[in-house]
Amino acid sequence: MARRRRQRPGPFDYSRKLSLQMVFVLATIFLYAPIIVLIIFSFNDSRRGGNVIWRGFTTDYYVKAANNASLIEAFTNSLTIAVISTIFSVILGAITAVVLWRWRFPLKPGFEGLVALPIVIPEICLGVAVAVFFSYFGLYVPPGTPWPFNLTNIIIAHITFSFPFAAMVIRTRLQSFNREMEEAAKDLGATEFQVFRDVILPHLKPGLIAGGLLAFTLSLDDFVITFFTSGPDTVTFPVKVYSMVRFSVTPEINAASTVLILITLVLTAIAMRYQSFGDDRQ
Amino acid sequence: MTQTPIISIRNVTKRFGSFTALEDISIDIRPGEIFALLGPSGCGKSTLLRIIAGFETPTEGDILIDGKDMTEVPPNKRPVNMVFQSYAVFPHMSVADNVAYGLKMDKLPAAEIKTKVAEALKQVHLSEFSHRMPDQLSGGQRQRVALARALVKRPRVLLLDEPLSALDAKLRDAMRLELVKLQQTVGVSFIMVTHDQSEALAMADRIAVLDQGRLRQLADPVTLYRKPADAFVADFIGRVNLFEVTAHEPGSTTATVASLGEIALAAAAAYPEGEALVLAVRPEHIRLTAGEGPGVPATLGDVAFQGDSSIVEVTLADGRSVQVLEDAAESARLMQLDPGAIVTLEIDWTKAAILRRSAL
Ligand SMILES: Nc1ncnc2c1ncn2[C@@H]1O[C@H](COP(=O)(O)OP(=O)(O)OP(=O)(O)O)[C@@H](O)[C@H]1O
Ligand SMILES: [Mg+2]
Repeated sequence: MARRRRQRPGPFDYSRKLSLQMVFVLATIFLYAPIIVLIIFSFNDSRRGGNVIWRGFTTDYYVKAANNASLIEAFTNSLTIAVISTIFSVILGAITAVVLWRWRFPLKPGFEGLVALPIVIPEICLGVAVAVFFSYFGLYVPPGTPWPFNLTNIIIAHITFSFPFAAMVIRTRLQSFNREMEEAAKDLGATEFQVFRDVILPHLKPGLIAGGLLAFTLSLDDFVITFFTSGPDTVTFPVKVYSMVRFSVTPEINAASTVLILITLVLTAIAMRYQSFGDDRQ
Repeated sequence: MTQTPIISIRNVTKRFGSFTALEDISIDIRPGEIFALLGPSGCGKSTLLRIIAGFETPTEGDILIDGKDMTEVPPNKRPVNMVFQSYAVFPHMSVADNVAYGLKMDKLPAAEIKTKVAEALKQVHLSEFSHRMPDQLSGGQRQRVALARALVKRPRVLLLDEPLSALDAKLRDAMRLELVKLQQTVGVSFIMVTHDQSEALAMADRIAVLDQGRLRQLADPVTLYRKPADAFVADFIGRVNLFEVTAHEPGSTTATVASLGEIALAAAAAYPEGEALVLAVRPEHIRLTAGEGPGVPATLGDVAFQGDSSIVEVTLADGRSVQVLEDAAESARLMQLDPGAIVTLEIDWTKAAILRRSAL
């Protein structure tokens, strides 16, 4: 007779250990409680967003936020900046990644470190540095420049901090490229350019999409660096929210923030999907 | 043979830094043959193949294809195609698109590409799979895509790097035959890299045995097996028992051989004194009889059953073990004996060969 033996749970077998389940639940609550509260109270029928007393369900504040011209303007600015800086970040990131992957050159490790530096430098320092750089060299676009060119400084600043992230993601994707694939294409008559277009680029696609979405979300919710480079007529959404909060917290801000969370969430989900998509093929 | 070679490898040496991967290799490949590059891991087989394809440049020497020097010709302009060890099938293209890729690079008209692709897929029995993506194929099918993709370009020579190593044993045997048949239908020369001697013997018209970047012997399979150039080749091709010749001198009809003592060996006399020689005896050239008798006494060891025959291991008086091939009937009789039983070896001296330890 085979005796059924209860297997002892492994040290991290959280699905079977109550203590670990508790830790998991607490950590999740700790992480997401503020956001959930924010979202719930965006529907609270109360004049003050900080008001923790539930006064009934309403979507009024979404309507109000949508009718707030300066909030919408800030939102449009943010989206514009994010789109443009993402395009540049992905192109720059892809070039950087391919160069680092493909060629050996003197001081390459140093260069690799330099590229990754904006990722680890405290954002506040980067913000100050960018602001000082622009004013020292007189590179601020003059006031009154027509939209969207008045956003140039912010866009440049955003490219600076987001393209290293794109480069990292794309580089990781390149690591899994089978060099024999490249040789096979060449062997069949492809030129360097055709190899890149027909073989390397299709392999990179998930990395480009994931890197792009990462750059997009980073740009969309950046506050610190933007704060240093934005002027009165180039307010972005996070900066606008900040100034509104200083005034008073209204459910309108909750509503607007909820929309932003939603956008970020969807984009992140897509990015993650594409990243894992790339892995299970080949 | 006066056939003009399709590929001439002329005095090719390849160094990676101070390491010499290939040393002064000269080989001519004939039209329509299956040529095998055989050797142990790291001997430089792949490197030589990659030099022919143009992915590596020789440090010294030249490659000529159809009499034309290929030194300045990049891989995408060479009239050879390669089947890679990992197959390198493009994962984002369908089977048909993979096969069509090389033709598209040649800018052939679409209609012509279509008929050629269809024909190539038929040749490798993949016609029903033309719309599949590579991740929906088995390993053997992927390999056939790689084959079709290379062959559809009608190269002067098809280069194959360990084409069968990623397949399981049964499929490997089937593909051996299929590859040979395919080669006969298309008439393209194959240069095939392998470290499996049985694969090379079964498929190739001629075999080059490489060791540590040097060409040990170039011959057809039968010659290679019957008349190996030296002990390394004899040991690498098939099974062999090697006995060191400890003393021999010109003019003498006998020589002293390790484990066997002084025996009649006139062949050794042809070599100058002091030359390191070995006596090579194939397992099939030894007969085993139970009990004592005229011959070399030994004790019975393991019997490795192989179906129609067995490899019997016996131990000589000085502890050296020797492999003997026996047919099914004889091995059945031997298996009746206890391990350690006394047996006698009868060596067919007419088939035993005297070889130099190294021909280099
Ligand atoms: N790019 C390179 N740089 C340095 N050494 C190399 C390079 N390519 C190959 N070698 C060396 O050259 C030798 C021959 O390599 P090669 O790949 O030709 O071996 P092989 O005969 O194909 O072996 P295997 O059967 O294991 O594939 C090896 O010792 C290898 O380490
Ligand atoms: Mg190899």
